[in-house]
Amino acid sequence: MSKPSVPSLKYVQTTCPYCGVGCTLNLVVQDGKVTGVQPYRRSPINEGKLCPKGMTCHEFVHSPDRLTKPLIKKDGKFVEASWDEALDLVAKKFKETSDRHGPKSLGFQVSCRTPNEECYIMQKLARVAFQTNNVDNCARICHGPSVAGLSLSFGSGAATNPFEDVLNSDLILMWGSNAVEAHPLAGRRVAQAKKKGTPIIVIDPRYSPTARLADDWVRFNPSTHIALANSMMYWIIKEGLHDKEFIEKRTKGFDDLKKMVEKYADAESIHGVPLEKVKDIARKYATAKNAVIIYCLGITELTTGTDNVRSMGNLSMLTGNIGREGVGVNPLRGQNNVQGACDMGAYPNVYSGYQKCEVPEIRKKMEELWGMEAGSLPDWYGSTLTEQINECGDPIKAMYIFALNPVVSYPDSNHVMRQLDKLDFLVVQDIFWTETCEHADVVLPGCSFAEKDGTFTSGERRINRVRKAVDPPGDAKEDWEIFVLLAEKLGLKGFDFKSPEEIWDDLRRVTPSMAGCSYARLEKPESLHWPCPTEDHPGTPILHREKFAAADGLGTFFGLEYRPPAEVADAEYPFTLMTGRLIFHYHTRTQTDRSKILHYEVPEGYVQINTEDAKRLKIADGERIKLRSRRGESLPLARVTDDVAPGVLYMAMHFPNGANMLTNTALDPLSKMPELKHCAVSVEKIEGGN
Amino acid sequence: MAKKGDMLYAWTNDSALAKKAECGGAVTELLKYALESKAVDAVLAVTRGFDLYDAVPVIVTNPKDLDNCAGSLHCGTLLLSKLVMEYAPQLAGKKVGMVVKGCDMMGLLELEKRKMVNLDNILMIGVNCGGSVSPVAARKKIREKFGVDPDKVTTEEIDKGQFIIEYEGGHKGIKMDDLEDEGYGRRSNCRRCKVKIPRQADLACGNWGVIGDKAGKATFVEVCSDKGAALLTKAIDAKKLSTEPANPKGIEIRAKTEKAMHKLGDKWRQRDFAALAPNLWGTIAEETGRCMKCYACIDNCPVCVTRPDKFEQPDLMVRAGFAPADPMFHLRRFAHISDSCINCGQCEENCPAEIPLALFSHAIRTEADKFFEPKLGKSSYTN
Repeated sequence: MSKPSVPSLKYVQTTCPYCGVGCTLNLVVQDGKVTGVQPYRRSPINEGKLCPKGMTCHEFVHSPDRLTKPLIKKDGKFVEASWDEALDLVAKKFKETSDRHGPKSLGFQVSCRTPNEECYIMQKLARVAFQTNNVDNCARICHGPSVAGLSLSFGSGAATNPFEDVLNSDLILMWGSNAVEAHPLAGRRVAQAKKKGTPIIVIDPRYSPTARLADDWVRFNPSTHIALANSMMYWIIKEGLHDKEFIEKRTKGFDDLKKMVEKYADAESIHGVPLEKVKDIARKYATAKNAVIIYCLGITELTTGTDNVRSMGNLSMLTGNIGREGVGVNPLRGQNNVQGACDMGAYPNVYSGYQKCEVPEIRKKMEELWGMEAGSLPDWYGSTLTEQINECGDPIKAMYIFALNPVVSYPDSNHVMRQLDKLDFLVVQDIFWTETCEHADVVLPGCSFAEKDGTFTSGERRINRVRKAVDPPGDAKEDWEIFVLLAEKLGLKGFDFKSPEEIWDDLRRVTPSMAGCSYARLEKPESLHWPCPTEDHPGTPILHREKFAAADGLGTFFGLEYRPPAEVADAEYPFTLMTGRLIFHYHTRTQTDRSKILHYEVPEGYVQINTEDAKRLKIADGERIKLRSRRGESLPLARVTDDVAPGVLYMAMHFPNGANMLTNTALDPLSKMPELKHCAVSVEKIEGGN
Repeated sequence: MAKKGDMLYAWTNDSALAKKAECGGAVTELLKYALESKAVDAVLAVTRGFDLYDAVPVIVTNPKDLDNCAGSLHCGTLLLSKLVMEYAPQLAGKKVGMVVKGCDMMGLLELEKRKMVNLDNILMIGVNCGGSVSPVAARKKIREKFGVDPDKVTTEEIDKGQFIIEYEGGHKGIKMDDLEDEGYGRRSNCRRCKVKIPRQADLACGNWGVIGDKAGKATFVEVCSDKGAALLTKAIDAKKLSTEPANPKGIEIRAKTEKAMHKLGDKWRQRDFAALAPNLWGTIAEETGRCMKCYACIDNCPVCVTRPDKFEQPDLMVRAGFAPADPMFHLRRFAHISDSCINCGQCEENCPAEIPLALFSHAIRTEADKFFEPKLGKSSYTN
């Protein structure tokens, strides 16, 4: 035992709570408090290096603003309550609603920043207690199209190769990814490759920090990916640079693609890239020995999201760039556990490990493993995240929002608020009071990443341990425990978990692709990449080596037509607004804005506007301006720059009364992704703006 | 009675510790004795984490716990001096013992210049250091150059210019020179380092120069301060340690080893700085142009201590919220540390943008040291 006079010093290795790269770091614990972050150099992922957010991720943990007591709204005011009282009320209301209105009257929304164990137990609770598939996670508004698109192309909706593997590439093609800013330690791998001399092509309408790394930065018109990809593929085929053997042996649907791209020999009028440049990048990608595609939300957050993703699949299969080191198609997953939340089955049509609800044999298996009555699990496709918002009031009457802040993060904030107010009963479980809590009936205080054990699965399918460093504040409870208690109130069997590890073992029991990933094996800093079906399986860093994950083992080409976005600039709303992320903030800033340095860097939202547009509208750098769309308005500061093209604006999504006051709720028909990256707005100079 | 300037062979009288520790276990024994005798209240030490590639700092108050810290970890690239500074407020008034490599020691001396630590309260047991290897790089090297599964390695050491590993089923050594020419090996700052024996610590210990029947069984100790002499004397009197005068031949060999290391350091300086010289501005501009402002180079630097009101200052040349960072973000840091960069390599090792920061600041300092004298401290005015 330490003498009391000398302070203790303990390093707790854990996984960063921010982006999907999954960096390992040490939380420094002294006398029961997290006092800092120190590098964990043994990590194969980030070797101790961290971005501005990772460096400061301890700062919000002991914030005085943390929620510490359950709150119940009584006569319009939130009053403190005991856990018993709060959970009794939640159980009663959900039960009543379900009894009266059936399983489609409930909505469950799971955050991708919560550990796998909590994502798993929440979807299990929704399905076992209420036989509903109305459970979804916020991948729906970032990489839902990746899950859908890559599943269609390759049979598995996840990244094919690890981050570090770009060091084995001979060419890196980044498309709609600003990794340097949004996934900095994946961006680091690209910077390392550049230092080795690997050529880098960045395709982005904006001169982003990532575009600054490129040997070839290709500016194209926002949201015209398919026209550009089709044109590239036309020239690859035309010049005979496609991999005929690969296409023949490992794929199907090539003729569909070939026929379709013939219309796109010259599509400059759509995408805006000079034909010679298109040919040049097509040749470079097709002739590199090993070429990798890295993409991100620039591809997915559109009504053509799933088609855009499949276009990336088309490109890689056309050139045989899949299934070995240095190649592949890698979506950079946004949140720390966006891969995991999907893997855990917090999804309206699949159970954990993407086992489909519509398949009777799978339902039967899950009913047996979960100890349910035969035939009780539903076969229908549940409502997705933003569909659930649209259904508030009818048919959804009660909703459980776990660690999400839809009022700021979903498209069209005014619509979200109006809809939430139509609910009979709303539970919000979070660590801070958010804009969404205002609309709740019960607010439950959960735990931060530093206060619980569990796992996050990163964008490279690596399952990284999260380790408890300190106790939660006040009466706040570890989130998995809240679900255990709620299950007890609901009289459910199969929820008497004593630890996250027990929940994980329950998940392994029902999920063949992760059955081999015991906590003991995850202790190793290298951890494991799923699929890992057995205890002696080494894990699978690279997918699709011998055959694709589809049932027939083949990859599928799709001939895809370019479709314009749902709302394009017109006379009334002449500007195109794109949205994205800043390196200094994470989502709705509930965590990052409580870091002194991050708040200092960017305390409020801004919009990038082209120099010529600003000059024409007499807008000065730093001036407050008004943006208006068909759905709302926002008053950001103007940042005048040539990083965006004339007629195009760019805003980060982190701020309340910001980008999502303007964004469009139109959905991608296949993945139900709202069109967060493209809408039409007007720009006005305002009185006293400068 | 030991005194400043003495050179001895020392070994522990604790046979269990001798078995566990390397080279006679004198360093661990000295720290244990310092705790037992209340010469220090705590020891800031390094212990093995998940495996031998993982070095973890710990504060030890129970002498027995120090046994877990015995032995060296060449893949530990921690810098303890900044840690001490960060926890100094909590350690206020406490006496702390530490094992220091050259960079740890230099960091402490720089922090003392800035009044961030009080060296009267710190007992520095110095250890020779030929350089360290980053854990992930070490594993890669063992896999690719030694053809051995890094998980199977039981011990690693750097001896006689070789990196040597023992593993289940054998042992293997490869010349550092060959490894480093191929891009494997010590961190680049370590290659340029010329503080191999930390003589500004209280005691400078190591295995260089231990020859004859004591080879591998004793530690070479050079007494560098009165504080060090007192600790050593008391430990001998308390029958914790045995000593004998160092073999004169051994002293010679130790000096030769140090000289060879310095020569190697000069070779790397020549190589690194010459490559940088022709396009200095361009290289600095290009490399720092990737900076995304994580502040790791500042946070981990033992020479950088920031103003508490830094975020209330008007931003003229380093604009808040702009990434990549404006050029002055790094220029002001280079200027700040120009006369005291210790080339510990922390800035570079922790940089997510892969900027060779230690190369730049070490080059600036060594060139400035050759040209300017005396150096300036803080002025009594501000302008």
